[in-house]
Amino acid sequence: MSTLDRTWWHKQWRHLRLWRRFFAQAVVRETHFRAHFLTTLLVGLVQLGLGIVPTLLLFGFTAEVHGWSRAEVIALVGVFQIVTGLMATFIAPNLNRMTTYLTEGELDSVLLRPVSSQFYLTLRWINVAELTNVASGIVVLVIGLVQAGIGFGPGQVAQAVVLVGTGLVLLTAVWSAMSFLAFWLQSVNPIGFVFLNLMEAGRYPLVFFPAAVRTFLTFAFPVAFATTFPVRALTGDLGWGTVAVGLGLAVVAQGLVRLLWRRGLLTYSSASS
Amino acid sequence: MSTVTRNLRVVRRMTAADIAQQSVYRGAWIIFMLANITMPIISLLIWRTALASGAQLPVDERYVTTYFVLLGFVTMATSSWMAGFLAQDIRMGKLSSWMIRPASLLTGFVANNLSEKFLKLFALVPMIGIVWWIFRDSMNIPAGPGRWVLFALSILLGAMLVFTIDILIASLAFWMDDVSALVQARVIIASVLSGAVVPLALMPSWSRGFVDHQPFRYTVSFPVEIVAGQLTGRELLVGLGIQLGYVVVFAAIARLVWSAGIRAYSAVGA
Repeated sequence: MSTLDRTWWHKQWRHLRLWRRFFAQAVVRETHFRAHFLTTLLVGLVQLGLGIVPTLLLFGFTAEVHGWSRAEVIALVGVFQIVTGLMATFIAPNLNRMTTYLTEGELDSVLLRPVSSQFYLTLRWINVAELTNVASGIVVLVIGLVQAGIGFGPGQVAQAVVLVGTGLVLLTAVWSAMSFLAFWLQSVNPIGFVFLNLMEAGRYPLVFFPAAVRTFLTFAFPVAFATTFPVRALTGDLGWGTVAVGLGLAVVAQGLVRLLWRRGLLTYSSASS
Repeated sequence: MSTVTRNLRVVRRMTAADIAQQSVYRGAWIIFMLANITMPIISLLIWRTALASGAQLPVDERYVTTYFVLLGFVTMATSSWMAGFLAQDIRMGKLSSWMIRPASLLTGFVANNLSEKFLKLFALVPMIGIVWWIFRDSMNIPAGPGRWVLFALSILLGAMLVFTIDILIASLAFWMDDVSALVQARVIIASVLSGAVVPLALMPSWSRGFVDHQPFRYTVSFPVEIVAGQLTGRELLVGLGIQLGYVVVFAAIARLVWSAGIRAYSAVGA
């Protein structure tokens, strides 16, 4: 433990305070670029509209697919929009910089700071404008839930929120792991594309995929925890068991990413000095 | 020597040089192509599930499967990514140095387009081959080489069409400060209207007249349709005619706008 913090808890508290500063700074920064805010909002809305086209077309040909009605899948698209919005706000601006951090030697100045370098690299930059997509996602989710006529209690909402949270942690872990490969590969810019394209599978319920792909989307690329499971929790056919599995997986994934980060740092030999 | 032969020779040399340069990033191309076939595979699985659970689609399983297996290849083969770069070259004044060279700045972009596609082929074709093999029992494979020749021809025309549309958008940088929003708009609109997200055959019937005749259909969907089936001999010929027409029209407009832009160009940084 460094001399900065008396206990482990103090260290977490310090990082949380630091993150609040990052957020406040990002908000101030955003007010300087109002056009950026507006274009992000517009592009987000157009993408949301076009992203829902396949779903609407699909349910023009059938009323139900594997027990999912149109309204339920629309609710799912809402959750997908919320999750991708949150990733784009808090995670993407950081992991997209990974190649630069390593090849330009910016990592040097991060390592010198009295802060967890993994925390700093994963959460330093925040794109506040992307939060508009979270807002539009919530609207779509509510429309879907109302259309489906789903009634749910506070317990189910709690399940759904926890599941979205574990989904976010799991997806961040997968993307981080893919990005940290930069230590060995030098350039990982295209990896972001692969990640975002795989994310698209989260637009659809898990049961729309063949069994083998379902396993992949639950355990290897766990987008199911971020979209399908929260909606199923709201419709009431998911127990706390899945939530527990998600939490367990999230802890394991974080541990593995931490390990990968430490291994990667050992191979880092600075780029500029 | 005529201008055409000279330009072709320049393009050939620059393409060869570009291939040598770009092959350094072999690993990146493989990852890019992996991303490229992810969406078509997701769509393929979704639509096959819909069919299997009794959805009444206007097309059958073989059409859907063939369509999405070939989709990744055709979107790659007809793609263009130069609009943003060309606009930047115009805005930052890089165009200046090309104005005194014996070839157009555009030859560099043609060479870049061809060389990257050449390298992407090596990464993409094996991947498509694997997906094809997995779904081999429900693939439509046209008998005889005729349809494949037309497929190749149509891809070539589609690539020219996308490229000219990109020149057109980038040329606006002669007058506008920032065309990135336009570039983004083109990508988003094209993804739906070209059939890259959903086969155009699945679009609602009220939109048919528009969907079948707008230019973006001829950038991706039409070449795929040639192999996936359904087009009669007459529709095929009419389609190729329309495609050629669009290429000529867009090339003419792009040429007009480009030369007007060159005259308006004020050489930033000179």
